[in-house]
Amino acid sequence: MSIITVEHVARIEGHGTIHVELEGSTVKDVHMEIIEPARFFEPMVVGRRFDEVSLVTSRICGICSPNHAVTSLKAIEDALGIQVSERTKLLRKLLVYGSYLQNHATHLYIFSAPDFLGLPSVFPLAETHPDVLERALKIKKAGNELCTLVGGRPVHPVTAVVGGFTHEPGADELEAFRDRLLALVDDAVVTAQLFDSFDVPEFASSCEMLALADTEEYAVYDGNTAALEAGWNRPVQEYRAFIDEQVVGHSNAKHSTSDGRSFMTGAIARVNLSGKQLMPRAAEALASLSTGAVGKNTFLNNVCQAIELIDACERCAVYCDRLVAEGGTSTPVKYEVRAGFGVGATEAPRGTVYHSYTLDDDGFVLSGDIITPTAQNLGNLDADMRAFAPTVAGLPHDEFILQVEELVRAYDLCLSCSVH
Amino acid sequence: MAPRVVVVGLASDFGCQVQITNIEDHLLEMLDVIDLGYWQLASSGHMPAEYDIAVVEGAVTTLEHVELLKRLRKTASVVMTIGTCAHTGGIPALANRCDLDAAYSAVYGEGSDVARGRCAPGPVHSVIDVDYQVPGCPIDTDEFLAVLSKALQGLADPLPGDPMCAVCKTKENVCLLDRGEICLGLVTRTGCGAKCPSLGRPCTGCRGLAPDANFDAARKVLASKGFDPNELDRRFDLYNAVREGVR
Ligand code: SF4
Ligand code: SF4
Repeated sequence: MSIITVEHVARIEGHGTIHVELEGSTVKDVHMEIIEPARFFEPMVVGRRFDEVSLVTSRICGICSPNHAVTSLKAIEDALGIQVSERTKLLRKLLVYGSYLQNHATHLYIFSAPDFLGLPSVFPLAETHPDVLERALKIKKAGNELCTLVGGRPVHPVTAVVGGFTHEPGADELEAFRDRLLALVDDAVVTAQLFDSFDVPEFASSCEMLALADTEEYAVYDGNTAALEAGWNRPVQEYRAFIDEQVVGHSNAKHSTSDGRSFMTGAIARVNLSGKQLMPRAAEALASLSTGAVGKNTFLNNVCQAIELIDACERCAVYCDRLVAEGGTSTPVKYEVRAGFGVGATEAPRGTVYHSYTLDDDGFVLSGDIITPTAQNLGNLDADMRAFAPTVAGLPHDEFILQVEELVRAYDLCLSCSVH
Repeated sequence: MAPRVVVVGLASDFGCQVQITNIEDHLLEMLDVIDLGYWQLASSGHMPAEYDIAVVEGAVTTLEHVELLKRLRKTASVVMTIGTCAHTGGIPALANRCDLDAAYSAVYGEGSDVARGRCAPGPVHSVIDVDYQVPGCPIDTDEFLAVLSKALQGLADPLPGDPMCAVCKTKENVCLLDRGEICLGLVTRTGCGAKCPSLGRPCTGCRGLAPDANFDAARKVLASKGFDPNELDRRFDLYNAVREGVR
């Protein structure tokens, strides 16, 4: 028996090792070991005041910090019985979409594209495909600047607080950004075409898919959790009843199941569940994919992210217009501090993220619970690797490893998130 | 030959490395003057045997981190830390305030072995000497470029020692203490341009303790404004749980 390990898999966020056991060309076992040390965010928020929680949890992830910040604010507001204004929601959605632009562009171009172009990193593109690199950086930069416009900086938003915002952009800034987003739609469309042109293996995951879904719009901020195959739709407040977490020996991150099945969350789950609510150009791109429907080929998570880039540009342009036209205020609403329990969920770039907190009478945290998208996806990644690896085990060693790594990278893992 | 730079992450959220990727406009220029020898976040490949500058993000939380830092110090002529995690222990060092054994069982259930190789979280300079520091959670991209270019030229870059209130005043911000909010700008090292107060939010101390700060006086200021003076210490813990580690 031979054992192959790929240590510190490159171009993913965090430290993980792929472990494959081969007998001849038969795959005996394959899984992802998460060597990222545990980080203890749940015990760390205990004893912090309710208004410090989003500062702590934002530091779970430097890529999706706006999502962790916003999700924990929602949970705290749920516990304190706070209703935020429509304007606050719009601004928070811009923060969420800023992280989509930033994350998806980074993941697609900097982490994934080198696989398909046969390169070790994105840097050689500067010589060979300067236009591609330029487009990547342009989209990513727009995401950062959208987060900066609303949150004050690209990473770890400053202005988003319990009940609202301490500062918001002016009408002229919002209008200028709207124009920039509209100009970016074409770049996003080209991105979707590029990723659609890359060959991906034909593969169907056996998984369930979970994402937020909302009757109003493509869900990223509001909505219930919906299951694609089981067909249910449940309030996020019940998340502990529909997601089970297990400790597994080979990983510092827990694995999740729903109704006993591993499941996938992220762009592909959202597109499957809410694809009908995409903005026009994004819907057009989805309808014209060479692969037809995305279904459950997890390799197509990349293309789904690209489609979400188009949607994000179109949608945020509308949000900017609404913020200029509709008025209202995002000044933090008044509230009483009291004991309580609250849950918040949003769609981070990599999938649904859940936070919940119990507060004492003075608003200090008694307990906290967080489930990140990657923690939800890891069990399914192992299942997919077990199904996929045998189909490519006959390939030469390097190619075999590359294909398995491609599957891993399609998941857009964030291992440091997973060991929060 | 262009100096070879390696970028290494310890316990962190990668936010500071993300901030490096956020120099989009200058990324390519930067790649002209340095040889980016290793950057796990952005490239396949292994750590080279020789390098000149080691850029370190994150707090020290495992024995493996300790070994890695010693190796970096031996090989590199310059060690530069980025971010609060590396500078003060930052948010990861908040774990020092928890009962870690209980925390392990809470997260992983009784009797799990994930605790392997763990040590009390702390800043990089608690293990090795550090030549340049870029504080902040996250770092400011321009400040990073400025410090890196000083490191490349071998120029000194002392961190400012004074607290940020003076800078905040020059921004003509209404003092948050007078608006009923506890602001840690009283004791926090300046250099961010009073970022948070300028956006209406109190400073929470991410740049660490200003060596010239007077904690006692600051407590009295809080008391005189009607706040609980102990809140200064409790809140300052957020990014500075390893207080003596701040240089
Ligand atoms: S200092 Fe802050 S932004 Fe930088 S790695 Fe640490 S937690 Fe992330
Ligand atoms: S104002 Fe305080 S918390 Fe904000 S960036 Fe500056 S030092 Fe950090």
